[in-house]
Amino acid sequence: MNATTFQELPLDERLSAWLDDELAPDQRAEVDTWLRDHAEDAARVRLWAADRDALRARLEPAAGESVPTRLEQVVWSHAPDTATAGWMRWAAAAAIFVLGGALGAGATWRLLEETRVPVAGARWEQRAIAAHAVYVPEVRHPVEVSVHGATPQESRAQEEHLVRWLTRRIDRPVKLFDLRSHGYELVGGRLLPDTQGAWAQLMYQKSGETSPQRVTVYLRKPDSATPAAFRYERHGELGMFYWVEGSTGYALVGAMPRDELMALAESIYRQIPN
Amino acid sequence: MSSRTPVVIAPTAFRQQLLGTIPRLRRYARSLVFESAAADDLVQTALERALAHWHQFDQRRDILVWVLSIAHNAYMDDRRRHAHTTSVEPLDLQDGPDALAAHAPDPGLRMDLMAALAKLSVEQREPLLLVTLEQLSYAECAEVLRIPIGTVMSRVSRGRAALRALLDGHAPAPSGTRGLRRVV
Repeated sequence: MNATTFQELPLDERLSAWLDDELAPDQRAEVDTWLRDHAEDAARVRLWAADRDALRARLEPAAGESVPTRLEQVVWSHAPDTATAGWMRWAAAAAIFVLGGALGAGATWRLLEETRVPVAGARWEQRAIAAHAVYVPEVRHPVEVSVHGATPQESRAQEEHLVRWLTRRIDRPVKLFDLRSHGYELVGGRLLPDTQGAWAQLMYQKSGETSPQRVTVYLRKPDSATPAAFRYERHGELGMFYWVEGSTGYALVGAMPRDELMALAESIYRQIPN
Repeated sequence: MSSRTPVVIAPTAFRQQLLGTIPRLRRYARSLVFESAAADDLVQTALERALAHWHQFDQRRDILVWVLSIAHNAYMDDRRRHAHTTSVEPLDLQDGPDALAAHAPDPGLRMDLMAALAKLSVEQREPLLLVTLEQLSYAECAEVLRIPIGTVMSRVSRGRAALRALLDGHAPAPSGTRGLRRVV
Protein backbone atom coordinates (compact mmCIF):
# COMPACT_ATOMS: atom_id res chain seq x y z
CA MET A 1 0.00 0.00 0.00
CA ASN A 2 1.53 3.29 -0.86
CA ALA A 3 1.27 6.13 1.55
CA THR A 4 -0.20 8.77 -0.74
CA THR A 5 -3.27 6.72 -1.56
CA PHE A 6 -3.77 5.44 1.98
CA GLN A 7 -5.78 8.46 3.11
CA GLU A 8 -7.96 8.15 0.04
CA LEU A 9 -9.15 4.70 1.02
CA PRO A 10 -12.56 4.47 2.70
CA LEU A 11 -12.22 4.84 6.46
CA ASP A 12 -13.62 1.36 7.10
CA GLU A 13 -10.95 -0.20 4.91
CA ARG A 14 -8.21 1.58 6.81
CA LEU A 15 -9.68 0.53 10.15
CA SER A 16 -10.21 -3.02 8.96
CA ALA A 17 -6.63 -3.31 7.66
CA TRP A 18 -5.45 -1.88 10.98
CA LEU A 19 -7.31 -4.63 12.83
CA ASP A 20 -5.72 -7.25 10.56
CA ASP A 21 -2.28 -5.79 11.18
CA GLU A 22 -1.77 -5.15 7.48
CA LEU A 23 -0.51 -1.58 7.76
CA ALA A 24 2.95 -0.09 7.52
CA PRO A 25 4.15 1.46 10.82
CA ASP A 26 3.34 5.05 9.77
CA GLN A 27 -0.14 4.11 8.55
CA ARG A 28 -0.67 2.16 11.72
CA ALA A 29 0.32 5.16 13.83
CA GLU A 30 -2.08 7.32 11.84
CA VAL A 31 -4.97 4.97 12.57
CA ASP A 32 -3.93 4.70 16.23
CA THR A 33 -4.27 8.47 16.50
CA TRP A 34 -7.57 8.46 14.66
CA LEU A 35 -9.00 5.81 16.99
CA ARG A 36 -7.88 7.74 20.04
CA ASP A 37 -9.80 10.77 18.83
CA HIS A 38 -12.89 8.97 17.50
CA ALA A 39 -14.54 6.88 20.19
CA GLU A 40 -17.36 5.69 17.93
CA ASP A 41 -14.95 4.32 15.34
CA ALA A 42 -12.92 2.69 18.09
CA ALA A 43 -16.10 1.06 19.39
CA ARG A 44 -16.91 -0.22 15.90
CA VAL A 45 -13.45 -1.75 15.54
CA ARG A 46 -13.85 -3.40 18.95
CA LEU A 47 -17.08 -5.00 17.73
CA TRP A 48 -15.31 -6.29 14.63
CA ALA A 49 -12.61 -7.77 16.82
CA ALA A 50 -15.26 -9.40 19.00
CA ASP A 51 -16.96 -10.83 15.90
CA ARG A 52 -13.61 -12.17 14.71
CA ASP A 53 -13.02 -13.84 18.09
CA ALA A 54 -16.53 -15.28 18.04
CA LEU A 55 -15.99 -16.73 14.56
CA ARG A 56 -12.75 -18.30 15.66
CA ALA A 57 -14.26 -19.71 18.83
CA ARG A 58 -17.17 -21.13 16.86
CA LEU A 59 -15.16 -22.69 14.04
CA GLU A 60 -11.79 -23.47 15.54
CA PRO A 61 -12.84 -26.83 17.04
CA ALA A 62 -13.36 -28.18 13.51
CA ALA A 63 -9.59 -28.17 13.00
CA GLY A 64 -9.05 -30.12 16.22
CA GLU A 65 -11.30 -33.04 15.32
CA SER A 66 -9.64 -36.29 14.41
CA VAL A 67 -9.36 -36.72 10.67
CA PRO A 68 -11.81 -39.27 9.23
CA THR A 69 -10.14 -42.39 7.87
CA ARG A 70 -11.94 -41.81 4.60
CA LEU A 71 -9.96 -38.62 3.98
CA GLU A 72 -6.66 -40.17 4.99
CA GLN A 73 -7.37 -42.98 2.59
CA VAL A 74 -7.92 -40.48 -0.21
CA VAL A 75 -4.43 -39.14 0.40
CA TRP A 76 -2.92 -42.62 0.39
CA SER A 77 -4.94 -43.97 -2.52
CA HIS A 78 -2.84 -45.12 -5.45
CA ALA A 79 0.14 -44.73 -3.16
CA PRO A 80 3.54 -45.14 -4.77
CA ASP A 81 3.88 -48.85 -4.08
CA THR A 82 4.80 -49.31 -7.71
CA ALA A 83 7.56 -46.82 -7.43
CA THR A 84 9.00 -45.31 -10.55
CA ALA A 85 12.52 -43.99 -10.65
CA GLY A 86 11.09 -40.56 -11.46
CA TRP A 87 9.22 -39.94 -8.24
CA MET A 88 11.99 -41.39 -6.13
CA ARG A 89 14.38 -38.83 -7.53
CA TRP A 90 11.80 -36.14 -6.82
CA ALA A 91 11.36 -37.33 -3.27
CA ALA A 92 15.09 -37.37 -2.67
CA ALA A 93 15.44 -33.89 -4.09
CA ALA A 94 12.52 -32.43 -2.19
CA ALA A 95 14.21 -33.43 1.07
CA ILE A 96 11.36 -32.19 3.18
CA PHE A 97 9.84 -35.24 4.71
CA VAL A 98 11.91 -37.76 2.86
CA LEU A 99 10.67 -40.89 4.46
CA GLY A 100 12.69 -43.44 2.60
CA GLY A 101 12.48 -44.55 -0.99
CA ALA A 102 10.66 -47.64 -2.05
CA LEU A 103 8.10 -48.17 0.68
CA GLY A 104 5.50 -50.79 -0.02
CA ALA A 105 1.86 -50.05 0.69
CA GLY A 106 2.02 -51.91 4.00
CA ALA A 107 4.95 -49.92 5.22
CA THR A 108 3.21 -46.73 4.16
CA TRP A 109 0.27 -47.53 6.37
CA ARG A 110 2.44 -48.23 9.39
CA LEU A 111 4.19 -44.96 8.76
CA LEU A 112 0.87 -43.19 8.69
CA GLU A 113 0.01 -44.56 12.10
CA GLU A 114 3.25 -43.30 13.56
CA THR A 115 3.03 -39.84 12.13
CA ARG A 116 -0.63 -39.38 12.75
CA VAL A 117 -0.47 -37.50 16.01
CA PRO A 118 1.91 -34.69 15.03
CA VAL A 119 0.26 -34.37 11.61
CA ALA A 120 -3.20 -33.87 13.06
CA GLY A 121 -1.75 -31.54 15.71
CA ALA A 122 -3.87 -33.39 18.20
CA ARG A 123 -1.70 -33.06 21.29
CA TRP A 124 -3.01 -30.40 23.60
CA GLU A 125 0.48 -29.20 24.56
CA GLN A 126 1.07 -28.40 20.88
CA ARG A 127 -2.17 -26.51 20.72
CA ALA A 128 -1.02 -24.49 23.74
CA ILE A 129 1.88 -23.29 21.60
CA ALA A 130 -0.53 -22.35 18.82
CA ALA A 131 -2.85 -20.51 21.21
CA HIS A 132 0.10 -18.62 22.66
CA ALA A 133 1.18 -17.53 19.20
CA VAL A 134 -2.34 -16.35 18.36
CA TYR A 135 -3.18 -14.34 21.46
CA VAL A 136 0.11 -13.01 22.80
CA PRO A 137 0.61 -10.49 19.95
CA GLU A 138 -2.89 -9.09 20.49
CA VAL A 139 -2.61 -5.46 21.51
CA ARG A 140 -6.20 -4.67 22.28
CA HIS A 141 -7.77 -8.01 23.07
CA PRO A 142 -5.13 -10.23 24.61
CA VAL A 143 -7.70 -11.69 27.01
CA GLU A 144 -11.44 -12.24 27.17
CA VAL A 145 -11.74 -11.32 30.83
CA SER A 146 -9.31 -8.73 32.08
CA VAL A 147 -8.44 -8.48 35.76
CA HIS A 148 -7.56 -4.83 35.39
CA GLY A 149 -9.91 -2.66 37.40
CA ALA A 150 -10.00 1.06 38.16
CA THR A 151 -9.61 0.35 41.88
CA PRO A 152 -8.01 -2.54 43.81
CA GLN A 153 -11.51 -3.64 44.85
CA GLU A 154 -12.64 -3.72 41.27
CA SER A 155 -9.57 -5.72 40.24
CA ARG A 156 -10.20 -8.21 43.01
CA ALA A 157 -13.82 -8.59 41.93
CA GLN A 158 -12.64 -9.21 38.34
CA GLU A 159 -10.18 -11.84 39.55
CA GLU A 160 -12.90 -13.61 41.49
CA HIS A 161 -15.17 -13.51 38.49
CA LEU A 162 -12.41 -14.95 36.27
CA VAL A 163 -11.74 -17.82 38.70
CA ARG A 164 -15.43 -18.70 39.02
CA TRP A 165 -16.04 -18.53 35.28
CA LEU A 166 -13.02 -20.60 34.23
CA THR A 167 -13.51 -23.15 37.02
CA ARG A 168 -17.08 -23.70 35.92
CA ARG A 169 -16.23 -23.91 32.24
CA ILE A 170 -13.22 -26.20 32.36
CA ASP A 171 -14.73 -28.24 35.16
CA ARG A 172 -11.69 -28.23 37.43
CA PRO A 173 -10.33 -25.77 39.97
CA VAL A 174 -8.59 -22.76 38.46
CA LYS A 175 -6.10 -20.82 40.50
CA LEU A 176 -4.68 -17.50 39.40
CA PHE A 177 -0.98 -18.01 40.04
CA ASP A 178 0.95 -15.13 41.50
CA LEU A 179 4.10 -14.51 39.44
CA ARG A 180 4.77 -10.99 40.70
CA SER A 181 7.98 -12.07 42.43
CA HIS A 182 9.27 -12.72 38.89
CA GLY A 183 7.95 -9.40 37.63
CA TYR A 184 4.90 -10.84 35.86
CA GLU A 185 1.44 -9.36 36.40
CA LEU A 186 -1.74 -11.24 35.52
CA VAL A 187 -3.49 -9.66 32.51
CA GLY A 188 -6.54 -11.94 32.52
CA GLY A 189 -7.78 -15.10 30.92
CA ARG A 190 -9.73 -16.64 28.14
CA LEU A 191 -11.53 -19.83 27.37
CA LEU A 192 -10.29 -21.90 24.45
CA PRO A 193 -12.50 -24.34 22.57
CA ASP A 194 -11.48 -27.90 21.95
CA THR A 195 -13.12 -31.14 20.96
CA GLN A 196 -12.12 -32.62 24.33
CA GLY A 197 -13.78 -29.79 26.24
CA ALA A 198 -12.79 -26.24 26.99
CA TRP A 199 -9.48 -25.16 28.46
CA ALA A 200 -8.29 -22.03 30.15
CA GLN A 201 -5.54 -19.66 29.11
CA LEU A 202 -4.10 -17.22 31.65
CA MET A 203 -1.89 -14.43 30.38
CA TYR A 204 0.84 -12.68 32.33
CA GLN A 205 3.01 -9.82 31.29
CA LYS A 206 6.15 -8.15 32.53
CA SER A 207 5.30 -4.49 32.90
CA GLY A 208 7.53 -1.48 32.33
CA GLU A 209 8.75 -2.50 28.91
CA THR A 210 7.81 -0.99 25.57
CA SER A 211 6.73 -4.30 24.10
CA PRO A 212 5.76 -6.29 27.16
CA GLN A 213 7.07 -9.82 27.52
CA ARG A 214 4.13 -12.17 27.87
CA VAL A 215 3.78 -15.73 29.05
CA THR A 216 0.69 -17.91 28.98
CA VAL A 217 -0.44 -20.67 31.33
CA TYR A 218 -2.88 -23.40 30.31
CA LEU A 219 -5.13 -25.54 32.45
CA ARG A 220 -7.26 -28.37 31.17
CA LYS A 221 -8.25 -31.99 31.40
CA PRO A 222 -5.09 -33.82 30.29
CA ASP A 223 -5.08 -36.27 27.40
CA SER A 224 -4.59 -39.79 28.65
CA ALA A 225 -1.32 -39.89 26.72
CA THR A 226 0.18 -36.87 28.48
CA PRO A 227 3.02 -37.96 30.77
CA ALA A 228 2.71 -36.76 34.37
CA ALA A 229 6.38 -35.80 34.53
CA PHE A 230 7.66 -32.30 33.89
CA ARG A 231 8.42 -32.01 30.18
CA TYR A 232 10.17 -29.31 28.23
CA GLU A 233 9.83 -28.62 24.51
CA ARG A 234 11.12 -25.90 22.28
CA HIS A 235 9.34 -24.72 19.11
CA GLY A 236 11.36 -22.00 17.42
CA GLU A 237 11.65 -19.14 19.85
CA LEU A 238 8.92 -20.51 22.12
CA GLY A 239 9.67 -22.76 25.05
CA MET A 240 7.08 -24.83 26.87
CA PHE A 241 6.94 -26.74 30.13
CA TYR A 242 4.01 -29.06 30.67
CA TRP A 243 3.00 -31.56 33.27
CA VAL A 244 0.03 -33.20 34.92
CA GLU A 245 -0.84 -32.68 38.56
CA GLY A 246 -3.90 -34.35 40.03
CA SER A 247 -6.64 -34.24 37.42
CA THR A 248 -5.34 -31.17 35.63
CA GLY A 249 -2.87 -30.74 32.81
CA TYR A 250 -0.73 -27.60 32.99
CA ALA A 251 1.39 -25.92 30.36
CA LEU A 252 3.49 -22.78 30.46
CA VAL A 253 4.58 -21.12 27.20
CA GLY A 254 6.94 -18.19 26.73
CA ALA A 255 9.60 -16.82 24.42
CA MET A 256 12.52 -16.94 26.84
CA PRO A 257 15.50 -19.09 27.77
CA ARG A 258 14.82 -22.43 29.38
CA ASP A 259 16.14 -21.43 32.83
CA GLU A 260 13.94 -18.36 33.06
CA LEU A 261 10.86 -20.31 31.99
CA MET A 262 11.79 -23.08 34.41
CA ALA A 263 11.79 -20.61 37.33
CA LEU A 264 8.25 -19.54 36.41
CA ALA A 265 7.13 -23.15 35.99
CA GLU A 266 8.47 -24.05 39.43
CA SER A 267 6.74 -21.07 40.97
CA ILE A 268 3.43 -22.19 39.43
CA TYR A 269 4.01 -25.77 40.49
CA ARG A 270 4.55 -24.72 44.12
CA GLN A 271 1.29 -22.75 44.08
CA ILE A 272 -0.87 -25.63 42.86
CA PRO A 273 -3.13 -26.57 45.76
CA ASN A 274 -2.79 -30.18 46.89
CA MET B 1 11.32 -34.12 -15.35
CA SER B 2 10.40 -34.60 -19.01
CA SER B 3 8.08 -32.17 -20.75
CA ARG B 4 5.99 -35.07 -21.97
CA THR B 5 3.79 -35.30 -18.87
CA PRO B 6 3.63 -38.93 -17.94
CA VAL B 7 1.10 -39.92 -15.28
CA VAL B 8 3.47 -39.89 -12.36
CA ILE B 9 1.81 -40.58 -9.08
CA ALA B 10 2.36 -38.30 -6.14
CA PRO B 11 5.37 -39.19 -3.98
CA THR B 12 5.07 -40.14 -0.33
CA ALA B 13 6.71 -36.90 0.81
CA PHE B 14 4.02 -34.89 -0.93
CA ARG B 15 1.27 -37.05 0.55
CA GLN B 16 2.64 -36.44 4.02
CA GLN B 17 2.52 -32.71 3.45
CA LEU B 18 -1.00 -32.97 2.11
CA LEU B 19 -2.10 -35.00 5.11
CA GLY B 20 -0.92 -32.18 7.35
CA THR B 21 -3.29 -29.71 5.68
CA ILE B 22 -6.45 -31.77 6.31
CA PRO B 23 -7.43 -30.33 9.73
CA ARG B 24 -7.37 -26.73 8.52
CA LEU B 25 -8.86 -27.66 5.18
CA ARG B 26 -11.78 -29.25 7.01
CA ARG B 27 -12.28 -26.19 9.15
CA TYR B 28 -12.32 -23.92 6.14
CA ALA B 29 -14.71 -26.20 4.26
CA ARG B 30 -17.00 -26.28 7.29
CA SER B 31 -17.09 -22.50 7.38
CA LEU B 32 -18.10 -22.47 3.71
CA VAL B 33 -20.73 -25.19 3.55
CA PHE B 34 -21.58 -25.58 7.28
CA GLU B 35 -22.84 -29.13 7.13
CA SER B 36 -20.01 -31.47 8.11
CA ALA B 37 -20.61 -34.33 5.64
CA ALA B 38 -20.88 -31.87 2.74
CA ALA B 39 -17.77 -30.10 4.01
CA ASP B 40 -15.80 -33.36 4.03
CA ASP B 41 -16.97 -34.06 0.49
CA LEU B 42 -15.48 -30.73 -0.50
CA VAL B 43 -12.25 -31.61 1.33
CA GLN B 44 -12.14 -34.93 -0.49
CA THR B 45 -12.53 -33.23 -3.86
CA ALA B 46 -9.75 -30.77 -2.97
CA LEU B 47 -7.43 -33.58 -1.86
CA GLU B 48 -8.08 -35.57 -5.03
CA ARG B 49 -7.35 -32.55 -7.20
CA ALA B 50 -4.20 -31.75 -5.22
CA LEU B 51 -2.99 -35.32 -5.75
CA ALA B 52 -3.77 -35.19 -9.44
CA HIS B 53 -1.85 -31.91 -9.82
CA TRP B 54 0.88 -32.49 -7.26
CA HIS B 55 3.58 -31.76 -9.84
CA GLN B 56 2.24 -28.19 -10.14
CA PHE B 57 2.97 -27.48 -6.50
CA ASP B 58 6.03 -25.34 -6.02
CA GLN B 59 7.84 -26.59 -2.90
CA ARG B 60 8.93 -23.06 -2.02
CA ARG B 61 5.32 -22.11 -1.40
CA ASP B 62 3.06 -22.78 1.56
CA ILE B 63 1.13 -25.95 0.79
CA LEU B 64 -1.84 -24.79 2.88
CA VAL B 65 -2.32 -21.70 0.73
CA TRP B 66 -2.11 -23.86 -2.38
CA VAL B 67 -4.62 -26.41 -1.08
CA LEU B 68 -7.02 -23.71 0.16
CA SER B 69 -6.93 -22.25 -3.31
CA ILE B 70 -7.87 -25.65 -4.77
CA ALA B 71 -10.70 -25.95 -2.23
CA HIS B 72 -11.93 -22.50 -3.20
CA ASN B 73 -12.03 -23.49 -6.88
CA ALA B 74 -13.80 -26.74 -6.07
CA TYR B 75 -16.36 -24.83 -4.01
CA MET B 76 -16.99 -22.34 -6.81
CA ASP B 77 -17.37 -25.18 -9.33
CA ASP B 78 -19.84 -26.82 -7.00
CA ARG B 79 -21.85 -23.63 -6.64
CA ARG B 80 -22.00 -23.20 -10.38
CA ARG B 81 -23.12 -26.77 -10.83
CA HIS B 82 -25.89 -26.40 -8.25
CA ALA B 83 -26.80 -22.85 -9.08
CA HIS B 84 -30.41 -23.81 -9.67
CA THR B 85 -30.96 -26.06 -6.71
CA THR B 86 -31.80 -24.61 -3.34
CA SER B 87 -29.07 -24.59 -0.76
CA VAL B 88 -29.51 -25.73 2.82
CA GLU B 89 -29.87 -22.89 5.26
CA PRO B 90 -27.78 -23.30 8.39
CA LEU B 91 -30.86 -22.51 10.46
CA ASP B 92 -32.50 -25.66 9.13
CA LEU B 93 -29.58 -27.65 10.45
CA GLN B 94 -30.08 -26.63 14.04
CA ASP B 95 -31.27 -30.09 14.98
CA GLY B 96 -29.18 -31.84 12.39
CA PRO B 97 -25.92 -33.68 12.85
CA ASP B 98 -23.80 -30.60 13.34
CA ALA B 99 -20.73 -31.84 15.13
CA LEU B 100 -19.87 -28.34 16.23
CA ALA B 101 -23.12 -27.85 18.08
CA ALA B 102 -21.72 -29.88 20.96
CA HIS B 103 -19.59 -26.91 22.01
CA ALA B 104 -22.36 -24.39 22.09
CA PRO B 105 -22.26 -22.34 25.28
CA ASP B 106 -25.22 -20.37 23.96
CA PRO B 107 -26.89 -22.10 21.02
CA GLY B 108 -29.15 -19.17 20.17
CA LEU B 109 -26.34 -16.69 19.95
CA ARG B 110 -24.06 -18.99 18.00
CA MET B 111 -26.69 -19.90 15.50
CA ASP B 112 -27.18 -16.20 14.94
CA LEU B 113 -23.50 -15.86 14.16
CA MET B 114 -23.50 -18.78 11.72
CA ALA B 115 -26.77 -17.68 10.16
CA ALA B 116 -25.35 -14.19 9.69
CA LEU B 117 -22.18 -15.63 8.18
CA ALA B 118 -24.27 -17.70 5.77
CA LYS B 119 -26.15 -14.59 4.67
CA LEU B 120 -23.00 -12.84 3.49
CA SER B 121 -22.30 -13.02 -0.21
CA VAL B 122 -19.64 -15.58 -1.02
CA GLU B 123 -17.47 -12.73 -2.37
CA GLN B 124 -17.37 -11.24 1.13
CA ARG B 125 -17.54 -14.42 3.17
CA GLU B 126 -14.46 -16.11 1.75
CA PRO B 127 -11.99 -13.23 2.23
CA LEU B 128 -13.40 -12.56 5.70
CA LEU B 129 -12.96 -16.19 6.74
CA LEU B 130 -9.51 -16.54 5.21
CA VAL B 131 -8.28 -13.45 7.02
CA THR B 132 -10.02 -13.81 10.37
CA LEU B 133 -10.41 -17.55 10.86
CA GLU B 134 -7.49 -18.90 8.80
CA GLN B 135 -5.38 -15.85 9.67
CA LEU B 136 -3.91 -15.52 6.21
CA SER B 137 -2.29 -12.25 5.23
CA TYR B 138 -4.07 -10.14 2.61
CA ALA B 139 -1.39 -11.24 0.13
CA GLU B 140 -2.00 -14.93 0.82
CA CYS B 141 -5.76 -14.41 0.69
CA ALA B 142 -5.33 -12.69 -2.69
CA GLU B 143 -3.34 -15.69 -3.88
CA VAL B 144 -6.01 -18.18 -2.75
CA LEU B 145 -8.87 -16.28 -4.36
CA ARG B 146 -6.86 -14.95 -7.33
CA ILE B 147 -8.01 -11.38 -6.79
CA PRO B 148 -5.93 -8.22 -6.22
CA ILE B 149 -4.87 -7.31 -2.66
CA GLY B 150 -6.88 -4.08 -2.82
CA THR B 151 -9.98 -6.14 -3.54
CA VAL B 152 -9.24 -8.38 -0.55
CA MET B 153 -8.94 -5.28 1.61
CA SER B 154 -12.28 -3.81 0.55
CA ARG B 155 -14.13 -7.15 0.67
CA VAL B 156 -12.86 -7.95 4.16
CA SER B 157 -13.90 -4.52 5.33
CA ARG B 158 -17.35 -4.75 3.74
CA GLY B 159 -17.81 -8.33 4.94
CA ARG B 160 -17.07 -7.23 8.48
CA ALA B 161 -19.52 -4.37 8.36
CA ALA B 162 -22.19 -6.57 6.76
CA LEU B 163 -21.75 -9.31 9.38
CA ARG B 164 -22.02 -6.77 12.18
CA ALA B 165 -25.13 -5.22 10.62
CA LEU B 166 -26.75 -8.67 10.42
CA LEU B 167 -25.86 -9.43 14.02
CA ASP B 168 -27.35 -6.09 15.02
CA GLY B 169 -30.52 -7.10 13.24
CA HIS B 170 -30.09 -4.87 10.21
CA ALA B 171 -30.02 -6.08 6.65
CA PRO B 172 -26.68 -5.14 5.14
CA ALA B 173 -26.58 -3.01 2.02
CA PRO B 174 -26.62 -5.19 -1.08
CA SER B 175 -23.15 -6.47 -1.82
CA GLY B 176 -21.34 -4.61 -4.51
CA THR B 177 -22.57 -1.22 -3.38
CA ARG B 178 -20.01 1.01 -1.79
CA GLY B 179 -21.01 2.72 1.45
CA LEU B 180 -22.60 0.48 4.00
CA ARG B 181 -24.96 1.96 6.50
CA ARG B 182 -22.86 4.12 8.76
CA VAL B 183 -23.33 3.28 12.40
CA VAL B 184 -23.29 6.60 14.17
